[in-house]
Amino acid sequence: MPVSDSSLEELVRAAADGDQEAWNAVVDRFQNLVWATARAHRLSRDDAADVAQTTWLRLVENLGRIRDPERIGGWLATTARRECLRHIRLHARELPTEDADVFEAPSDEDAVAALLTTERDSALWRAFVRLSERCQTLLRLLVSQEDPSYEEISAALEMPVGAIGPTRMRCLEKLRSFTGADPAFQGGAV
Amino acid sequence: MTDDTTRDDELLRELRALIEQADSPPAEVAEFAKAALGWRRLDTDLAELLADSVLDMSGVRSGEGARRLTFEAGDLSLDLEVRPEEGEGRQLLGQVAPAPTTATVEAQSGDGELIATAVCDELGRFRLSLPGGGRVRLRIRLEPPAAPVETSWFSL
Repeated sequence: MPVSDSSLEELVRAAADGDQEAWNAVVDRFQNLVWATARAHRLSRDDAADVAQTTWLRLVENLGRIRDPERIGGWLATTARRECLRHIRLHARELPTEDADVFEAPSDEDAVAALLTTERDSALWRAFVRLSERCQTLLRLLVSQEDPSYEEISAALEMPVGAIGPTRMRCLEKLRSFTGADPAFQGGAV
Repeated sequence: MTDDTTRDDELLRELRALIEQADSPPAEVAEFAKAALGWRRLDTDLAELLADSVLDMSGVRSGEGARRLTFEAGDLSLDLEVRPEEGEGRQLLGQVAPAPTTATVEAQSGDGELIATAVCDELGRFRLSLPGGGRVRLRIRLEPPAAPVETSWFSL
């Protein structure tokens, strides 16, 4: 059966049996979710890449004993979140200071900003990074996939499914108020 | 309400385009993830990482305490203590329980290289000196016919 017609369950089972094409499809499907979860924890791109790799290794290790393949999105999100916390605490331990800021891993938001070409995009990014961590995380996860699953987002954020809708609304309101205050953000219908 | 919903969707669409343009996952991560399927070793038993003191919020989190990790594969458990050594080095003090008659422990670095080996004493204890941090896993070679046990990958 072509990979594109397979259900997630079929893909995961086939991957566990060593089917590379099926595994590639699983990775392609969830790589944005894993990445968004890591970046949403304010890890730099390098650290996020490290956490994402560890997360995928965990799934490979456990491929043979996934009980509910339909839910590996949630499993990946939970695993990525735990690996982020491990990464952040491990590196905070190494720093000599007791400064509370050590838990804020350095981010490379400026590097991202440098890639943006239009004034409007830059203004949107400036507004986005002013949002609370929770809002940034939620919005990142919401846009990380075509058809975001609230169950996966709930796992990545440790947020009840019922809280996602109202939080989404609040965060977008906030984002809109930030962009509205920025003269560079003009000309669209938003 | 409908207007708000449309406006929200518009803004999210714009945000998605922005993140895709400026902060999409690096291609290396997907390549790594895809290749990882081929690195599985089906002849070994996985010792899963069950506890890591670094994730334990209730415990003391002073910089003094050594990090402790616990792995389990069926009836076999592995307790590990990580101590910093001079420079970038790490010392791993471990104990396999129940103590195997004979066992060798090998440390493998993220690129698959064997970086340290130790033999367990009669109590199942061993000590490994690693040159640096990064991602590692341990492989415990038991007396045949017992299958070797391999830990999950973990970062130091």
